Amino acid sequence: MGVPQAGSLPAGIPRRLARQPHLAAALLRWRNAYHLRRARFLSVTALALALVSGLLAASSTGRVLEWLAGNPVITFAISAGLFGLSAVRRQARIQADAASSWLSALPTMSSPLIRLALGTAARFLAVLIFVGLAWVVGRVTAAAAALLVLVTAIGMLAGTLGGVRLMGGAAAASPGWHYATVYRARRRWATAPSLAPLSYWPLAQGRFFSRPKMTSRVVLLALLSIPAGRYDVPGQVALAVAAGCITLATLLSLSAAAVGVAGGAARWLAPTTVRLWTFVGAFVWRVAMKQAVILAVVILLACAVDYSQALRVGVKVSVAFLLISCAVSSAACLWACNQTGLGAARRGA
Amino acid sequence: MTDSSTSGQGQPPVLQVRSLHAGYDKLVVLSGVDLDISRGEWLALLGPNASGKTTLLHCIAGLLVPSAGSISICGCSLRQDAMGAKGQLGFGCAPERLPGLLTGRQCLEVYAAAKSLTTIDADVLELAEAFAFTGMLDRFVASYSLGTKQKLAVLLALLGEPALVVLDEAFNGLDPASALVLKRHLRVRVSAGRCGVLLATHALDVVERYSDRAVLLLDGRIARVWSREQLAELRAMPGEGLEAALAAASAGS
Repeated sequence: MGVPQAGSLPAGIPRRLARQPHLAAALLRWRNAYHLRRARFLSVTALALALVSGLLAASSTGRVLEWLAGNPVITFAISAGLFGLSAVRRQARIQADAASSWLSALPTMSSPLIRLALGTAARFLAVLIFVGLAWVVGRVTAAAAALLVLVTAIGMLAGTLGGVRLMGGAAAASPGWHYATVYRARRRWATAPSLAPLSYWPLAQGRFFSRPKMTSRVVLLALLSIPAGRYDVPGQVALAVAAGCITLATLLSLSAAAVGVAGGAARWLAPTTVRLWTFVGAFVWRVAMKQAVILAVVILLACAVDYSQALRVGVKVSVAFLLISCAVSSAACLWACNQTGLGAARRGA
Repeated sequence: MTDSSTSGQGQPPVLQVRSLHAGYDKLVVLSGVDLDISRGEWLALLGPNASGKTTLLHCIAGLLVPSAGSISICGCSLRQDAMGAKGQLGFGCAPERLPGLLTGRQCLEVYAAAKSLTTIDADVLELAEAFAFTGMLDRFVASYSLGTKQKLAVLLALLGEPALVVLDEAFNGLDPASALVLKRHLRVRVSAGRCGVLLATHALDVVERYSDRAVLLLDGRIARVWSREQLAELRAMPGEGLEAALAAASAGS
């Protein structure tokens, strides 16, 4: 029996992508994800379409777009900032791929420029389509839409070039490898084994989530949305709003980390005899404590401005946030325990 | 074919698996597996890739709920008394499942606490020393190499003097010196009757030299069992020994 013949490219992949294995692999990944999780894929797409429709239906969208068209400097700054950040990240990913990807040993030149340009073009296309639709449904005038697209395009070019230039220098200076060092390592055993160190896991993940690299988009948008000097907004208020955004990002990062890591922790400890609520308590308490400390510091600082208002509003909001955060983290732990059988007295029907 | 332990000695086997069926959604991976391991016995689980070895180990660790059949650890049914069964189990998790953002020391402390231990066993600390792992204790697990993660996974599995030690490819990535330390350590534990070991492996030297029995899993069923005597015969044979026997058994099925 002869060996069956097999093509060198999967069906449905254009031949010209043979020399661009990263793009071919990305295309196949998307296609497989669609076939494997069609329902999830379609529901996310439907959700995104609903969101866009909702935005287009809202009258405030038109006002925002008109305002952006009327303030080309701010629009340019937002566009350049976001596209610049995107270029920096994409290039960092391409450089990391070059060192660690399963495709990096191939004797093909997978052009980083094409990968960079495709990502940027896709984002710009999304902006173009949104503004075009806003014009079609009458939310923005043709002149404003054209100006908006033009300024965004210029911002895109400036930001992307700046990002590429910035990363080009960084890449030449240092390779992308690093080892994380332990913060305040304890070089002796605890007096007795304890589950307490488990709570460092979501904290460390939270620190990872709230790195400037991860939160830069949110912070950039927050900073650019404060028109300091206009509408009589004093500088200190603008700074306070920016600091508030960073604080909120940190608090949410901690909650997101607890939710994200719960599954891994439960799966790791599932073969042990640890009890359900012991696990939940050990996992959640330090995150809650850290959030409580952050909120307490914010309230103290706010007290310096307005004592009664800070106590009246701040305490209520903080307690509500902590309760919601604990409930969400605990629910994630319970779900993870249910999935892995951690703490279950019986397993299976 | 079913597997049954030969050295009962009146005690319940440390592991008893009966008519086990398991899979993922519609994919059936295990169909009717029977397995016994006694205290003081080292059983090697062999089989080609995707034959169901890891699925079987995950069922034993309680990570996967079987669709049918039963699993008992030291007489405690995993279904009826999961905590009792897990209390006797030492499971070596896959290195990639270890928490990357904890240090090795923190992992050992958390795992020991999760097993309700008041101290970390002295011989586990001795093994860590023999592995030359002590210097890595205060680094993040994420910065460990595969072999170092493997050492930590083994140390965690051995915490708390478990009656049943379950390891999946535990010698993957270990340097030869550490691998030898681990083989000897497990052999000492087994020979002293402190535990039974179930090791899924492709390392045939471990099977020939250290295991008491070996079973071959093919397409989710036990296709062949080698007794201690048969393993000794294979070891004494010149040439390929177990390797050839394994290939013949796989081809025969």
